Amino acid sequence: MTSQDEFRVDKQGVAARLRAAAMHIVNHPAWGHASLRWLTGLLGLGLFALVFTVPLDLGGQVAFAVVSFLVALLLRRVPGRLPTLAMIVFSVTASMRYIYWRFTETLGFETLLDNFFGTGLVLAELYALAVLLLGYFQTAWPLERKPLPMPADRSRWPSVDVMIPTYNEPLDVVKQTVFAAMGMDWPADRMQIFVLDDGRRPEFRDFCAEIGVGYLTRDDNRHAKAGNINAALKKTSSELVAIFDCDHIPARSFMQICVGWFLRDPKLAMLQTPHYFFSPDPFEKNLDTFRAVPNEGELFYGLVQDGNDLWNATFFCGSCAVIRRAPLEAIGGVAVETVTEDAHTALKLNRRGFNTAYLAIPQAAGLATESLSGHVGQRIRWARGMAQISRMDNPLTGPGLHLGQRLCYMNAMLHFFYGLPRIIFMTAPLAFLLFGAHVYQATAAMIAAFALPHLMHASITNSRMQGRFRHSFWNEVYESVLAWYILRPVLVAFINPRLGKFNVTAKGGVIDRSYFDWGIARPYIFLMGVNLVGLTIGLVKFSTHTGEAASTLAINLAWTIYNIVIIGASIAVASESRQVRRAPRVDATLRAVLTLSTGRTVVCKTEDFSQTGLGLLVPESLELPLGESLYVTLFRNEEEASFPAEIVFRNGPHLGLQFQEMSLPQQAALAQMTFARADLWASSWGHGERDTPLKALGGVMRIGVKGFGIFFVSLFRMLRAPRKALGPQASVDTGK
Amino acid sequence: MRIVAVASAKGGVGKTTVTASLAAALARAGRMVLAADLDPQNALRLHLGLDPREAGGSARATLEGVPWLSGCTAGPRGVVVLPYGQLTEDEREIFEQRLETDPQWLARHLQQLGLPDEALVLLDTPPGPSVYMRQALAAAELVLIITLPDAASYAALPLMDNLVRRYAGPRPGFRGQFYLINQLDSTRQLSADVAQVLRQRLGDRLLGGIHRDQAVCEALACDQSVIDYAHDSLASHDFVAAAAALARQLDAMPQVPA
Repeated sequence: MTSQDEFRVDKQGVAARLRAAAMHIVNHPAWGHASLRWLTGLLGLGLFALVFTVPLDLGGQVAFAVVSFLVALLLRRVPGRLPTLAMIVFSVTASMRYIYWRFTETLGFETLLDNFFGTGLVLAELYALAVLLLGYFQTAWPLERKPLPMPADRSRWPSVDVMIPTYNEPLDVVKQTVFAAMGMDWPADRMQIFVLDDGRRPEFRDFCAEIGVGYLTRDDNRHAKAGNINAALKKTSSELVAIFDCDHIPARSFMQICVGWFLRDPKLAMLQTPHYFFSPDPFEKNLDTFRAVPNEGELFYGLVQDGNDLWNATFFCGSCAVIRRAPLEAIGGVAVETVTEDAHTALKLNRRGFNTAYLAIPQAAGLATESLSGHVGQRIRWARGMAQISRMDNPLTGPGLHLGQRLCYMNAMLHFFYGLPRIIFMTAPLAFLLFGAHVYQATAAMIAAFALPHLMHASITNSRMQGRFRHSFWNEVYESVLAWYILRPVLVAFINPRLGKFNVTAKGGVIDRSYFDWGIARPYIFLMGVNLVGLTIGLVKFSTHTGEAASTLAINLAWTIYNIVIIGASIAVASESRQVRRAPRVDATLRAVLTLSTGRTVVCKTEDFSQTGLGLLVPESLELPLGESLYVTLFRNEEEASFPAEIVFRNGPHLGLQFQEMSLPQQAALAQMTFARADLWASSWGHGERDTPLKALGGVMRIGVKGFGIFFVSLFRMLRAPRKALGPQASVDTGK
Repeated sequence: MRIVAVASAKGGVGKTTVTASLAAALARAGRMVLAADLDPQNALRLHLGLDPREAGGSARATLEGVPWLSGCTAGPRGVVVLPYGQLTEDEREIFEQRLETDPQWLARHLQQLGLPDEALVLLDTPPGPSVYMRQALAAAELVLIITLPDAASYAALPLMDNLVRRYAGPRPGFRGQFYLINQLDSTRQLSADVAQVLRQRLGDRLLGGIHRDQAVCEALACDQSVIDYAHDSLASHDFVAAAAALARQLDAMPQVPA
């Protein structure tokens, strides 16, 4: 045995003994007394307050910070939840020491200018700290709920109404969802599917009649989707209601995975599953990070909702969820007071003592919003809705919630107020570089000694907790792009929650050529401009200053360069990549067989599929003329189905097929062989590359530099031919 | 030696084609395979690429009283072929009468070949009840029943089950019957529906399916195995998969000492 092996064995032995000792303490009967629990808690808090208030000089603070960080780095290497909790404690310590020092030592502003910028910055920091702490609370212990199997006795399976609300989406999009819903494994006599058409379109009515699913309309469109569902609730009667946005295609297993918990927990009112997208969102498309970097939604569905679940505070997200009818009717149906009816509905259910649950298993997939302006519009709606809820039905007050639920809901609301703080952070060093304001009354060394531990602990702790679902520094990119746009609607909604209307996100569009979205990028181009000016002035000053003044300049310059990188990345997002196909393609390697008109067959594999065609990989020697009609067979386990198609593309081994006219049963079979298969698209979820902060920083910097390049190229083009460079004007619908 | 009888209640299901293709696929997978034809049509040898002028065969050897080994020919696809042999009508009548009185004729002669334990013998039989089918069922360790995904074949399944029960069932060392669907065609609804019913009814006993494929006919015309002729065809893939499934079943069952 080598010494390393010995060490490993020894380490395991120590870990096991520690665990046993910890369990011994945790299971001690004395904890049954509430007074002991309170006493211990107060003692802990007292000691903690001592730790973050103890004043240390520069040397002491540096020593404390270095030791803390080294311990955290060691903890990072130990798997398990206890080390994570310990890392949170170290991070909270560093941050609390920082903010305590910040408030007690750095705020002696002298001039009005200092006061203005300095107070703004410290408030923004306070906000960031609150979100950091609430985030730790919310995600420290994800519940990781597992599905419960359904009982063998099918007579106990509840009846379900599947509701698919639609307003203006094309029939082709809605069809796929309906076909997939029809293929869900559930007793046919206990499942009814309804298309809820607020567009009242005859072709939808005819389609539903032909394939035998329900079609419901109402006389007005009051309260949009929420009102649509509420109207349908009055006309239906099943025990459970499953809701899918008309472009969220459910997997065959959806019902059986979701319903088990409703049988176990009679108070369960709502169970949510992730929203999964098989097409790239604008960030992924324009930055080319699809499936390489977790997208904006993955943190919420991968971690936040799972953390909420522990506190019985899972939010309803409007789609891919099952709701029990009785509790929903008890709160008066889906909430209509705000534009985020879904989260508000969950809040109301929780207030009435019902439970909500989350299953982190993708069981439905849909199209991501294609253009950045559409994406921004959707986020504006969420942000405005959350601000509305915080005014009209604030989770911190009112009846029915326990503290954990209040804090989870609070963080969800507070999260969307990041607009102003983010802009403050992106401009803060300019206060000094441009106006000479001293926003920090401290030496550069002290700032570094207190601020760096705060930032670095937060970074490695979040990287460990979120690593599968959000890479380091990407939070900054996502928030920076949206900051400017959600700032105003959130403030408006916060001041008067009754302003504003619901806006629908259009999907399935075409971006017929690459262009740079000046409309969206304008605020960031401005920010880039002022930061570049600040950088230049700072560099000039830096060359002539020495000593403390040079250190202060260095800190501000470093911060400015970081801001330029992040703003560069935001600008890169606004550079819309070309998107030719209307029907989204999903990359998937599936077995396929061509049956030629001669009766010969060719076994091959798919490269991607869409509603209208297939991309195949065929033997290069195979001679097939364009325009040739054939059958293509797809398989799922032992089932197979053949579809008529025509060859429309051939390049070496790559073959493109377009489906020919198909009957409705054939279309349904196609949907069930492709889009409705969670086994095809869900495997990548949460299994991407884990975060490593330095690598992520490298990635973000690369994109930032690229954005920097785009900024200058676009600027140059605009100066040469102002009209042409503007491209299609994609204005943001702020919904006002 | 592992003996598998390939049988069907109905004619025209492609039994000889399936036997020859499975034998070729198993030989490609490195198995030692003897394909023995018990059908007086004597067609298996053509499916396995033997020269039509090649004499020999089990019936011929039996009538002449010479060892079977002399009736075997190593074919071009790695399969040793034991044809039925060219018989006149008179000879056939005499031969079949002898088989009536000697139910262990096939089992005994196969034992006398002295094949190694791992050798695999595939028996091609004429459709429906016959003296050859009885001999094959009496000798086989396992019966592979070929069926089409159509109503007539489905209706004939009980007949085949009865034959198996009667002539092979009670014997120790008999492992029962497995099934293979031939000429699947998912572009036709009826074919797909019957295949679905068969899958449900047969469960684990269904070894797989062979899709309808023009390459199968063309391969025979070109005197090649379909796997050599059209390697990328679905039928080739199906035969390879079915051969692997058959081999898996046999490997999972410990061999009973003769």
